[in-house]
Amino acid sequence: MQNLFPRRARREFLADMGMGFTGLALGCLLNGEGIARAATTGWRPPDGQPHFRPRAKRVIWLFMIGGASQMETFDPKPALNRYAGKSIGETPYSGTLTNPLVKRNLREVIEGLHKVHPKIFPMQVGFSKRGQSGLDVSDWFPHVGGCADDLAVVRSLWTTDNNHGAQMQFHTGRHVLEGQFPTIGSWIHYGLGSLNDNLPQFVVLGDPIDTCCGGLGAHGASYLGPEHAGVQLQADPANPLTFGKPGEGIGREQQEREFALLGEFNRMAAAAYPDDPAMRARIKSYELAFRMQTSVPDAMRFDEESEEVRRLYGLDQEVTQPFGRLCLAARRMAEQGVRFVQVFHGQNGGAGKWDAHSKLKKGHTELCAQVDKPVSGLLKDLKQRGMLDDTIVAWVTEFGRTPGAQGSDGRDHHPYGFTVWLAGGGIKGGTVHGATDELGFHAVENRHYVTDIHATILHQLGLDPRRLEVPGRKRLDIDFGEPIRAIIA
Amino acid sequence: MATLARVMIGLAAAVVLRAADGRALLEQRCAGCHNATARKSGLDVTSRAALLRGGDRGPAIDAANPRASLLYKAITHGAKPHMPLGLPKLSVDEIAAVEAWIAGPVDAVPALAVSVSKHWAFAAPVRPKLPEVSDAEWRRNPVDAFVMAQLNAKGLTPLARANPRTLLRRVYLDLTGVPPTPAELQAFLADPSPAAYERTVDRLLASTRYGERWGRHWMDIWRYSDWYGWRAGKDVRNSARHLWRWRDWIVESLNHDKGYDRMVMEMLAGDELAPDDPDTVRATGYLARSFSKYDRHGWMQDAVDHTAMAFLGVTLKCARCHDHKYDPFTQKEYFQFRAFFEPYQVRTDRVPGETDIDKNGVSRVYDAEPQAQTFLLVRGDVQSPDKEHPLEAAVPRWFGAALPPVAPVSLPLAAYYPDHRGFVHRDLVKRGREAVEQAEKSLAEARTKLAAEPGRKNEDAVTAAEKGLAAARAELPALEARIEADKARHLEPPAPGADELSEKARRMEREAGILRADENLFRANLELAEALATREAGKPFDEKKVGAAQKRVDAARTALTREAEGYTPVGKVYGTLSSGRRLALARWITGARNPLAARVAVNHIWLRHFGRALVPTVFDFGMNGRPASHPELLDWLATELMSSGWSMKHIHRLLVTSRSYQSASSTGVEGHPNASVDPENIHLWRMNARRMEAEAVRDSVLEVAGELDPAMGGEEIDAGKAAESRRRSIYLQHTPDVPVPFLKAFDGANPAECYERTESVVPHQALAMANSPASRTMAARLASRLQEPDSGAFIDAAFEAVLGRPATQEETEAGRRFLHAQAELHAAKPEAGLRARENFVHVLFNHNDFVTIR
Repeated sequence: MQNLFPRRARREFLADMGMGFTGLALGCLLNGEGIARAATTGWRPPDGQPHFRPRAKRVIWLFMIGGASQMETFDPKPALNRYAGKSIGETPYSGTLTNPLVKRNLREVIEGLHKVHPKIFPMQVGFSKRGQSGLDVSDWFPHVGGCADDLAVVRSLWTTDNNHGAQMQFHTGRHVLEGQFPTIGSWIHYGLGSLNDNLPQFVVLGDPIDTCCGGLGAHGASYLGPEHAGVQLQADPANPLTFGKPGEGIGREQQEREFALLGEFNRMAAAAYPDDPAMRARIKSYELAFRMQTSVPDAMRFDEESEEVRRLYGLDQEVTQPFGRLCLAARRMAEQGVRFVQVFHGQNGGAGKWDAHSKLKKGHTELCAQVDKPVSGLLKDLKQRGMLDDTIVAWVTEFGRTPGAQGSDGRDHHPYGFTVWLAGGGIKGGTVHGATDELGFHAVENRHYVTDIHATILHQLGLDPRRLEVPGRKRLDIDFGEPIRAIIA
Repeated sequence: MATLARVMIGLAAAVVLRAADGRALLEQRCAGCHNATARKSGLDVTSRAALLRGGDRGPAIDAANPRASLLYKAITHGAKPHMPLGLPKLSVDEIAAVEAWIAGPVDAVPALAVSVSKHWAFAAPVRPKLPEVSDAEWRRNPVDAFVMAQLNAKGLTPLARANPRTLLRRVYLDLTGVPPTPAELQAFLADPSPAAYERTVDRLLASTRYGERWGRHWMDIWRYSDWYGWRAGKDVRNSARHLWRWRDWIVESLNHDKGYDRMVMEMLAGDELAPDDPDTVRATGYLARSFSKYDRHGWMQDAVDHTAMAFLGVTLKCARCHDHKYDPFTQKEYFQFRAFFEPYQVRTDRVPGETDIDKNGVSRVYDAEPQAQTFLLVRGDVQSPDKEHPLEAAVPRWFGAALPPVAPVSLPLAAYYPDHRGFVHRDLVKRGREAVEQAEKSLAEARTKLAAEPGRKNEDAVTAAEKGLAAARAELPALEARIEADKARHLEPPAPGADELSEKARRMEREAGILRADENLFRANLELAEALATREAGKPFDEKKVGAAQKRVDAARTALTREAEGYTPVGKVYGTLSSGRRLALARWITGARNPLAARVAVNHIWLRHFGRALVPTVFDFGMNGRPASHPELLDWLATELMSSGWSMKHIHRLLVTSRSYQSASSTGVEGHPNASVDPENIHLWRMNARRMEAEAVRDSVLEVAGELDPAMGGEEIDAGKAAESRRRSIYLQHTPDVPVPFLKAFDGANPAECYERTESVVPHQALAMANSPASRTMAARLASRLQEPDSGAFIDAAFEAVLGRPATQEETEAGRRFLHAQAELHAAKPEAGLRARENFVHVLFNHNDFVTIR
């Protein structure tokens, strides 16, 4: 604490206190100067500087809730069509089911709840080679396919659990049953200083995952403290921030005067307590809060965007408008200096809409259509603004889906191999990394646990997660992950 | 090579791993597959001997030539298979550590063994002599003697006693969680003498608000959480339903000044201590809270880890996967500690007046399996239990004190057969009567409907209702017969005629069952016909509905034809013995020779009065914890707690009546001379200013506005209703999944673990206080209660009410200007003056000093 508020002359101190609430530019307030007083002293939080030269400044994280199918998005498996309707045992790949990988990393909470579905279910959609790189993209993603040369597709993710607690796991590296841990966004918030003092640095858009599967913990900060947790904003100019508006019938002028009097009172009291750093922090926190009331809604003002841009995100279409608004808001936030924007798609009050146990074709057709245009719009818009160079866009999901059919027309949860992609921020576009086996069952080449995605992103931001570790909070190697160097440009 | 490794330690200890870590690395990274039970490729890496013996490919290590070892080649990827298989390669440092370990036997780390025996926390506290202190003001209370002696030694002069206003607000908030009323403040100002102060302290400790305030503190430490999972479906996945009964037990126990030792015993073993007393048994909510529907290992882990941290201040948890790195706890001792908890499960017993345990009841623990065995999990891996070596319950040897004998507890009938209690019988019979009445009513309604509208459908409804009534009328006497049969059977020895009564109960239950099945079959057939009819009508066919109806038809048919053996007892009969393991553990923790229990408890109390604990690592008094700032004071308080019969109120009184507690918190200047000697105020030359905890902020807003609902206890208030509630925050739903936004903003407790609150200052708090409808509503309430006609007097009254002090001249002037301008702004509204005053009070709620305890 002493270090945050070096001793200074009383006059200077009071002069610094003499800031009003309106129309004032302020110095850096966030990360560095928020005060957290806990038991551990003698150890200091990060200074907000990257540990090494960063390639990216910010992240937009698009999470598809429920488990998007790898073989209907970015990992085509012709063998599924060839052997459709046959049992896996009847194919040349019968070894799939006896592969030690079936048990190696799997943790079954309820034993036998999720069975292997042996009857092969053909791909429900065709694939096309897209871009100069000839990347395989499902025909359900015609627009994202147009950005193929920006994507680095990782087809060899694995996770440990066959249930939707894996949603939390994708954000913390730990399954929901193991408790709450800091999420990728909170680590970044914790590690890096602010790019804009008027806005929170970790923003959450869209309806977060359900309480079944981690709830708010999937954008929480756990032991890093609540100041590093994601701030939920609605991509709705009417109400973008919890307690973000003064309430019914409270005019701007009324509140401004209240804040002004408050500032005056606090500064008068502060003169009596020159040795109290919390007092000064509180004064500043009120100033930021006051600005957030306007800066946050401002960031949500889509009417400032040109018709062309709005169309790019699909705001003109009913199907694409909801997610388009989130993607556009994400870009506006990123543009204004928000470090980490976590965008959710597919909340349905349960396991998530991507959870295609039945009617996969219908479901995925609809869901892909909801996100395809907005995601491609986001990539193109970032690119045309020159922001894709230092913004990472991640399209991720908690696990994949079974090569075998569940029922007549669905696919079950599948932790053994699944696909995500990254783009921008120094990521090598037009790349495919890792591979699943012929059936899309096991990740067999360049296997990556979910935290390798975290490690890759942190690496691009210039952060070494091991240097962020908090005393008394031992992390395991698997929590840190390893950067996937093959997809780094 | 071993020598080289040691030299490297000396050169760059921060980066180079020690050879001893090499073994730990093998444990962590390789032993999952290569352990004594799994032995992948025949290899076990868990001991040097096993490695020398090697696996299918021969000896794994060669101490003379580490780099030629198979193990070394595998981890450096010098030869296939590349280890660890499918996981990241070990780092260069890690490989170096393994290499160093291969080279020499450095497993035993003598340095640890030497210092353990001297570590203060593992020796029982001895009551120290009071230091001599010359200053009369600092001689009255033993706490001060220790503090002053240390201040003297450091050449520090303590600040003067805080002014009476600050002091009174401080002690009110500390003991009750809400500030004093202006009237209480005035009374104290009229006589702020030490004697009057002490009378105030006694009064506050006697107030029931004390239990609510300190209950919340202990709920942090004991991990209180209401049940969570899927609330809409009443699917309890974590914690236990009606856990608020444990919360109420905490509040009541504190208010009655129940001994801390007794509280610990009741929480860990209330079911063994007083098996037939539901008031005591509800204390085991402490253990019920760790319940996890799908994860028994995680549940046991929480029980072990947090019992060790909360009551003993040790991180036994670190020894789950390997021997503790700092403290002398072995992995075996970890699992021996777990054995205390292994037999227990959670159940919900009925309470008078409610037969549905989803609606009300007492969740408590009981030994479901008194002989349950505990196995060490190799490497902490739940899939690798060492089944060859079941472990007995035991306490870590370094604590010294011996475990009292584990004696099985024979349970009374009311404990092992809770539904045999008289009130349960009465409630069930009452429910049976109500069912008959309800069935009569349904029949009457069906008949009326048929009379008004004759037809097949309504005829069927009458038939169904008649069948329902017949079933209900048969079920009531069947229930009574079952109760009589139960009573006869559970007499010791069983009553003569018990067999006849059983047979009678069986017969009547069967008859009632047939009638009920007959009704069900009739209704299910109706449903099936209706579902099928939709198809005939050419409407979309509801396959699900037909399937469900068919299932019900089948079930009813089965019930009709299945012959019953014996009657169904009224409720579940549990085991008649409890293992006594937890009771032995509880007696050991609270025994006079336990070195840590009392120290840990007084340290927690100290933290919440002084804002900084004597031992700053409140859950780690082990060798990796930090030393006490006042070791003798800690021990004196610990022995004082024990010799006072573990009276916490006695300790509170000692602390808050000490001169140390009453010091001013602010120097009023920057760069006070003491600050250069002791900037962190470790030696207590002043009081620490603190921010109120989340609950105190919310409760104080309500209290100051005169709106705080004094009702105590009862079911938790749904998080969705928190914003409107006027109850104290301790009664709001507290679960990890649905935080109350206002409390969350002010660093409310994490229900999973909270040994110390964070005190952050962030914009979210400003937004919560400035913009929450509640704070504005409360501001309006207070403004309308303050009737002073003159604005100056109003400003003073508002300052007194909210901040506990009058306004300064400067503040009054600013306030007047504001009131005037704000009234003009509101000119178009009715009562513009009052609106302005509401705005003013609202500003004061947002004042830094409202949420600050100075």
